[in-house]
Amino acid sequence: MKARTARRIAQVFFFTLFLFFVVITDLRYLKGYPVSWFLELDPLVAFATAITTHTIYMGLLWSLLLILPTLLFGRVFCNWICPYGILHHFTGWLLGKRRAEERERIESNRYKKLYSLKYVILIAMIAAAICGSLQIGWLDPICLFHRSMTVAILPILNMFFPSSFYVRQYFHVGAWIVGFLLLFLVGMNVVIPRFFCRVLCPLGAFLGTLAPVALWRIDRDPHKCVDCDLCLKSCEGASDPHTQLRKSECFVCFNCIEDCPEDAISFKFMPQLQREITAPVVPARRAFLGTLVGLTFYAFGRASGASDRNYDKKVIRPPGSVEEKDFLDRCIKCDQCLRVCPTNVLQPALMESGLEGIWTPILNMKIGYCELNCTLCGQVCPTGAIQRISIEEKTGTGTFVKEGPIRLGTAFFDHGRCLPWSMETPCVVCEEVCPVSPKAIYSREVTFTKRDGNPITLRQPYVDPALCIGCGICEHECPVTDEAAIRVTAVGETRSRDRRLLMDGGVTSAPRTLENQKR
Amino acid sequence: MAAPAAPPPTGNRKTFRRTKVSTTERAVSLATVVLLGVIGGVIWWKGRHFDPNRFALRTDALKSTAAEVKGKSGTVGGTDAGPGETRASLKTVPAAAAGEAEPGEGSAAAPAPAAKGEPLDLKLDGLKPMGDTEFYNADNLFEKIDGRAPAYLNFNVQGLRCRSFTVAGTAGSFVDVYEYRFDTPVNAFGMFSTERDPKGETLAFAPDGYASGMGFFFRQGPRYIQVMASDQNAKTMELAKAIAEDRAKALPADDAGLDARRRLPVTGLDPASVQFVQENAQGQAFLKNVFQASYDFAGKKLPFFVMVAPAADSAAAWKSYFDFAGQFGGKVTALPDMNGAKVFAAQNFGSWKVIYQRDGELGGVFDAADGDQAREFVKKYLEGQIK
Amino acid sequence: MSREPHQGAAGQPDPAAKDGINRREFLIRAGATGALLAGAAAGGYALWQPKHFVPGFQPEKGLQLPSYALAPNKLLPSLAIAHGTDHDKTIRAAIGALGGMDRFIKKGDVVMLKPNVAFDTPPPLAATTHPETLRAVAKLVLEAGAARVYIADNPINSPTGCFWKSGLKQVADDLNLDLMYPESGSFSPLELNGEVLRNWTFFHEPFKKATKVIGVAPCKDHNLCHSSMTMKNWYGLLGGRRSQFHQYIHSIVSDFALMMKPTLVVLDGMNVLMKNGPTGGRLSDVKPMNTVVAGTDMVAVDSYGYTHLMERDIAELTYIHKAHERGLGNKNWQDLIYKEVQA
Repeated sequence: MKARTARRIAQVFFFTLFLFFVVITDLRYLKGYPVSWFLELDPLVAFATAITTHTIYMGLLWSLLLILPTLLFGRVFCNWICPYGILHHFTGWLLGKRRAEERERIESNRYKKLYSLKYVILIAMIAAAICGSLQIGWLDPICLFHRSMTVAILPILNMFFPSSFYVRQYFHVGAWIVGFLLLFLVGMNVVIPRFFCRVLCPLGAFLGTLAPVALWRIDRDPHKCVDCDLCLKSCEGASDPHTQLRKSECFVCFNCIEDCPEDAISFKFMPQLQREITAPVVPARRAFLGTLVGLTFYAFGRASGASDRNYDKKVIRPPGSVEEKDFLDRCIKCDQCLRVCPTNVLQPALMESGLEGIWTPILNMKIGYCELNCTLCGQVCPTGAIQRISIEEKTGTGTFVKEGPIRLGTAFFDHGRCLPWSMETPCVVCEEVCPVSPKAIYSREVTFTKRDGNPITLRQPYVDPALCIGCGICEHECPVTDEAAIRVTAVGETRSRDRRLLMDGGVTSAPRTLENQKR
Repeated sequence: MAAPAAPPPTGNRKTFRRTKVSTTERAVSLATVVLLGVIGGVIWWKGRHFDPNRFALRTDALKSTAAEVKGKSGTVGGTDAGPGETRASLKTVPAAAAGEAEPGEGSAAAPAPAAKGEPLDLKLDGLKPMGDTEFYNADNLFEKIDGRAPAYLNFNVQGLRCRSFTVAGTAGSFVDVYEYRFDTPVNAFGMFSTERDPKGETLAFAPDGYASGMGFFFRQGPRYIQVMASDQNAKTMELAKAIAEDRAKALPADDAGLDARRRLPVTGLDPASVQFVQENAQGQAFLKNVFQASYDFAGKKLPFFVMVAPAADSAAAWKSYFDFAGQFGGKVTALPDMNGAKVFAAQNFGSWKVIYQRDGELGGVFDAADGDQAREFVKKYLEGQIK
Repeated sequence: MSREPHQGAAGQPDPAAKDGINRREFLIRAGATGALLAGAAAGGYALWQPKHFVPGFQPEKGLQLPSYALAPNKLLPSLAIAHGTDHDKTIRAAIGALGGMDRFIKKGDVVMLKPNVAFDTPPPLAATTHPETLRAVAKLVLEAGAARVYIADNPINSPTGCFWKSGLKQVADDLNLDLMYPESGSFSPLELNGEVLRNWTFFHEPFKKATKVIGVAPCKDHNLCHSSMTMKNWYGLLGGRRSQFHQYIHSIVSDFALMMKPTLVVLDGMNVLMKNGPTGGRLSDVKPMNTVVAGTDMVAVDSYGYTHLMERDIAELTYIHKAHERGLGNKNWQDLIYKEVQA
């Protein structure tokens, strides 16, 4: 079997696997499948979160499995495994210059200085990470692909083929931005083959800094070579196999080996250093600029105070989320949590948590609510922005009874909009659907005279902040659908000491014992 | 050649196909494809094997919600409080947190001090404690075992020490260990035999013990121990058994007062009626350390007793009883030996006695209305049909 | 045709160069790759977090404050009440009645003076520790030989404004005291086995080097807990979202008596804020009582203050009774050895 054939098989395998994972990330099909495996394999995710959190969370250790072949063979990931790369490869082949003139194809695959941009992007992202702001999720290919599928592609497909992915159609705020971005990046393959991979991909850049120590590489035998440049015809990485191979750019696609009519190219173990350009070529000034952008991104992002006291009440994070500052250190905006959430409550944030929080998950109770006995978001989160908590830990039962439940926020009544409070109309749906026992919403019976002179007895609801877990089903079911009469806001969430409402959250359970005695 | 030559003209050039493929390349390519298959297989396997607790709350965890929470009524201050709802005034009631058991009304004094003791630490391979050791005393035992508590209290239970352990390497398997401590071995035995499964298999390491379903149950000293596995997987059951053996080794043995107690058959026994009479049972000086109980037999209640003493003493006691029964106008009949036992029946003032003696055991029905029934019962007991 | 192996023109591979590498180059390159791989693996395992945690419910560890109190003295008074019209003279009289500042401060002590600087109000409104009171106490401390004197508080209003408007900054400048502002890095988690307070963020910086602690509190009305005196004064050492304390205010004030065992407390009753506290705002809210109470038992001092300076019924002061029941002090100040003097 030829190496290129093996590569093609691998591409089909990994692309199918990726799509499989995306489709089965649903309570009905999930079972034990490791649907976040691509994200866990992604060494940039592990590396960047190691910088921001000083830990490597659970499954991210898998990335060592990708580091090994990279250090041996170079950027095999980019053409053999990366599903986004495979998508671009396929698109480029489908829409590109397949039927174009050979000469055009050769020219389009020569190395361009523009391709050093991805290193500058990587430098900026790492600089931001060193300061404590994780922004790799914008352009990391796996994160981007997962996000695009979840936020834009699957809902669109579901619109054309109803119920193919969701029981009820899912919507995501700002889906058009994500969709257009994907369209743009994929479409650019028409202009430059593997545009994203060569120009923008920070993961490619990361692997490109590891590839130089690879022990094997594509090698051109100058004795056999006739300088026809045909090796460039299908070169994916634009790594100039026709002269000195750029080791950091080569995708190990083996196309050049197939295309060389003189059989001059081979995959060699430790060939001559003179016939390669070992390290990536990054102009120093651009590198410096990149560092600056990264450093200031963090500074300006945090200086805006959105993750501190001026926090937006609507930034309600999924159950099991770490504190906001740590959340922004971990969330890679892969939106796996959005994909698996059974109620569509998780939405990509826009500016609610500042610039750093774009596309991170927040709950929107108009669209959904947090189902009580569900912790699926934490199961699929690869970086521990949402920790892998158990349902027991979430609901405060079993072994977790002393600590109590995880609260996402607290519900507050808007009396002017509430039917029994202001509109002489009985309701209390909120009380009915409140899932905890004893309920966090209780009511008081009142009797008064209506406008028409007749008396009415109805129940007016109240929130008990000691019991409310902020799940939002009350807001979701409230009949005042445009802006509910009971709304959940982030205060009272247990993940943050600063945002507690009552003095009984978290470890200080002293007030609970106190409530059994006189105060 | 130093300078690159001008690229040759392109045009209708035949597409080149490489045919020289080295064996190394073939081998490595094939191996890679095989590796892909393996990866696919592993992923498929991973998909099949998962912890169901990922998707649903562990039912055992619900135990923590068994107790009522007071002070959190649903509707406050109304004329129609719903069924089961507590009416409360509009003044704020001191609140209690969800999911917590409260010892009394909201504004009561400090809660009863919790039972305490040494934690249940088991050093066995493959076990990890799932939480802290729980301690209960007689007052709050119901919090843990609900409706079963009265039965235990009947036997004067002193306390419960329990803990759950997860089984390493499995998804969701665990073992619960419950150690009930009674005041005497006799009472522990009483409770144990009440719950005994007649179909249980006896245990080698605990004479008063049996394995049944997913659990090992035995009495040791004044304790009644229950080791219950969450499932019947080999590993879980193996560990459950190991735990039971460990407890049997670790806990002190004490069989004080149990010889005779053991011999009281279980069939038809009214457990509440078990009595221990130290001396002068039934007014007889020779009846010492007697266990007696009431039995349901053929629709009637029969009192039955057992005494354990050396064979010679038992025989002497039987003879004394025989002689005594004949006094005061009683009709005494010596019955043929039943299964190695000497038996007599006696009727005094309308009430029947059927007394047997076999080796070191003396016993019988001592106050029955129907003599035939009494005889039948003793016969069945001696023949081993009533156990 | 043989040629000397040589580098071709810049950048051009030399076609005649020998293929294959020597052993040294092999070892270096393989070594580099191997080292990188080993480093990645080692780094990965070192940083690996194999188990999840539940955010917001992790066990908290914090510092535990030592006691700054002296050994109980059966001979000298533990409570002193001094009446007078001059701040300095009255305070000296009170401290003198206890045995003088030398009883409490030794040469070389690093003393932390804790005033109440909660609001940015001027001294006559009696909502903060009076500058003359602090000056008198600080002078006594310096005379006793203290090496350094810290003044610190974490006010409710803005710290710079509070220290300035209350006049305390001026005192610190005059006497060369170390004024510490509650900066972000000055706080550490505190662990306490309190009734309600278990873990909270604490203004640690001034205590890092302190060997003695003296609380200098005004005597004020308080809308929620009835009065803010020497016990409530320690509220100013806590950070974070203190507004939650009001849910359990009496328990927490009594927890302060557990948290802090000071060397000495001084209750300034020269001008008492009788109503509209704790902020006050009118001179008509203030009444001159011309008394200073000093003592080693803050529960006793506050008890005297509530009954004699605020002239109220001690039965309503729940936190005093709580502290007494918990054994944190004696609310029956008359049972202590006390001295009442005229300045």
